[in-house]
Amino acid sequence: MSQYLVHRLLFVVPILLGASLLVFVVGRLAPGDPVHILFGDMADPRAEARARAELGLDRPIWQQYLRYLGRALRGDLGVSYAFRGRPISAMVGDAFPITVQVGLSSIVVAVAAGLPLGVIAAVYRGSAVDRFSRLLALAGMSVPSFVVAIVFILVLAVQLHLLPVGGWGKWQQGVMPVLVLALRPMAYVTRLTRTAMLQVFDEDYIRTARSKGLPERLVVLRHTLRNAAITILTTVGIALSLALTGGVVVESVFGIPGMGRAAVQAVFQRDYPMIQAVVLLYTTIFLGINLVTDLLYAVMNPRIRYH
Amino acid sequence: MCPGWGGGTKDNVGSGAVAKIKMPVTGPVPVRRRTWWRRVRRDRLTLLAGAVLALTVAMAVVVPIASPYPYDFQDLLGVFQMPSRGHPLGTDHYGRDLLTRLAFGGRISLTVGGMAVLVQVIVGLVVGAASGFFGGWVDHALMRVTDVVFAFPTLLFAILVTGILGASLLNIVLALSMAGWPAMARTVRAEILGLKEKEFVEAARGLGATSRRIIVRHLLPNVFYLVAVRASLDIGPIIIAEATLSFLGIGIQPPTPSWGVMIADAFQHIRTFPYLVLVPSAMLSVTILAFSFFGEGLAEALDPRFGRAR
Repeated sequence: MSQYLVHRLLFVVPILLGASLLVFVVGRLAPGDPVHILFGDMADPRAEARARAELGLDRPIWQQYLRYLGRALRGDLGVSYAFRGRPISAMVGDAFPITVQVGLSSIVVAVAAGLPLGVIAAVYRGSAVDRFSRLLALAGMSVPSFVVAIVFILVLAVQLHLLPVGGWGKWQQGVMPVLVLALRPMAYVTRLTRTAMLQVFDEDYIRTARSKGLPERLVVLRHTLRNAAITILTTVGIALSLALTGGVVVESVFGIPGMGRAAVQAVFQRDYPMIQAVVLLYTTIFLGINLVTDLLYAVMNPRIRYH
Repeated sequence: MCPGWGGGTKDNVGSGAVAKIKMPVTGPVPVRRRTWWRRVRRDRLTLLAGAVLALTVAMAVVVPIASPYPYDFQDLLGVFQMPSRGHPLGTDHYGRDLLTRLAFGGRISLTVGGMAVLVQVIVGLVVGAASGFFGGWVDHALMRVTDVVFAFPTLLFAILVTGILGASLLNIVLALSMAGWPAMARTVRAEILGLKEKEFVEAARGLGATSRRIIVRHLLPNVFYLVAVRASLDIGPIIIAEATLSFLGIGIQPPTPSWGVMIADAFQHIRTFPYLVLVPSAMLSVTILAFSFFGEGLAEALDPRFGRAR
């Protein structure tokens, strides 16, 4: 197991390095001189030169990359162009917890709804519930989340006045974002739970369990669901990734001051260090989610370790 | 053997019938063209999706040509008009003809989707084939690059590229296809890995064929079906990504009408004219649904083991 762990960790490091290099290179391709952007048009050229030396922009590009990397590792992601001199890490510290809160809430909703739905759909294959689950899965994966958000706003806020249109702070303002964000992961969890359950239903030991007269409830819960759980577990990791990416859209639509909206605003404000930071952060998180999922998978299914 | 045994199931056939032993099947079984076409024709849902797509394409091509209005023609005295003879779908908040813009938006979405998938297929084929065929350090190097790009979430990669390099049509296409090719490359590689051990490749090599000839003439035609299926399933998500970028204001820039741009524009008037939001939203959703039904139908027709059955 520990060998597998080391192997997986060693696998992640070069990917992270490559990703940071890619982010760094795209950032350097950005139009405009960062010092010029920071100081504005009226700056003293000597002050600019000093700042350039301080930021290390006069050194060769590979040194700049190492410097960027070293600082990123220590949590220093540079300063914002848009909010003069504000450290990016502070901005991330403000916005990220909100994104995590919305994302995790939607995952709870997605799993709480998707898991039972997937199980029921598999048990009653071909029934109305099954058809509904497949329709939901298809819609959840095919209809863009901002369209879903718009429909929600139109019905729940504009027509029925049940919930506020947007904003952040009161719990009512969180309901629609969490529901909209949950839809895609829920579709995914439902679909994969169903598939995993159906696969296990085909196994010999299920036939044995049934033929020895075990109540169907126990066959489903104890024999099938437990064995399907390994596959279902991996869906939660992917669902979490979906929810975090989806946050970009949902936060922008509902005006939630999280990372997603910060990323979009950074693009409008040409705040390149912020864009880089967001992409780097999300990529790291996604790799982390994948790693944890794979490790859990290996813990639960010993066969995986012997690859 | 007694003929009364009825054709002989596998158990009945003795060890003499070696030729009847089923070969293990790896990868998709290429289905003869006419068979898959017959399957598609039988599948009403796929046909319907295909018809919807054909209609969308026709609209995107014909309407902007036939329309008396350019897509950015403003009629400030005739804003928010209801559908009429002059404006079959009414006008928006600048008095622009909604039908014209909807069709032109279709052009943008379909163009971005089609071009991005094309780039993705080309890069995926080249990388996947080279990686799978040559193996060794070539494989290792290419797959590590693939891993790195694969680690980026599509939407954020697109935000990185269009946000820093600018939101031109070309950048959007490149950003979306760059995020998508690793999956294609992996599929192609896995397929080539299985195929290159087959006898026909050995035979070709025995006859003195060069690596390039083996790849181009023998291997790539065999992955064609798989790539076609993947590509048809990839267009939908790419169109979603483009619409999302445009909706957020960091994709296609106004006044050029992409469906995402139109939805974002109309979103400001959602209380008074929800209709303006719903029309492009419906158009977008229907198109993507049609692509996903069509792709899955095609997948099932080309390779019955894959598809929406389970």
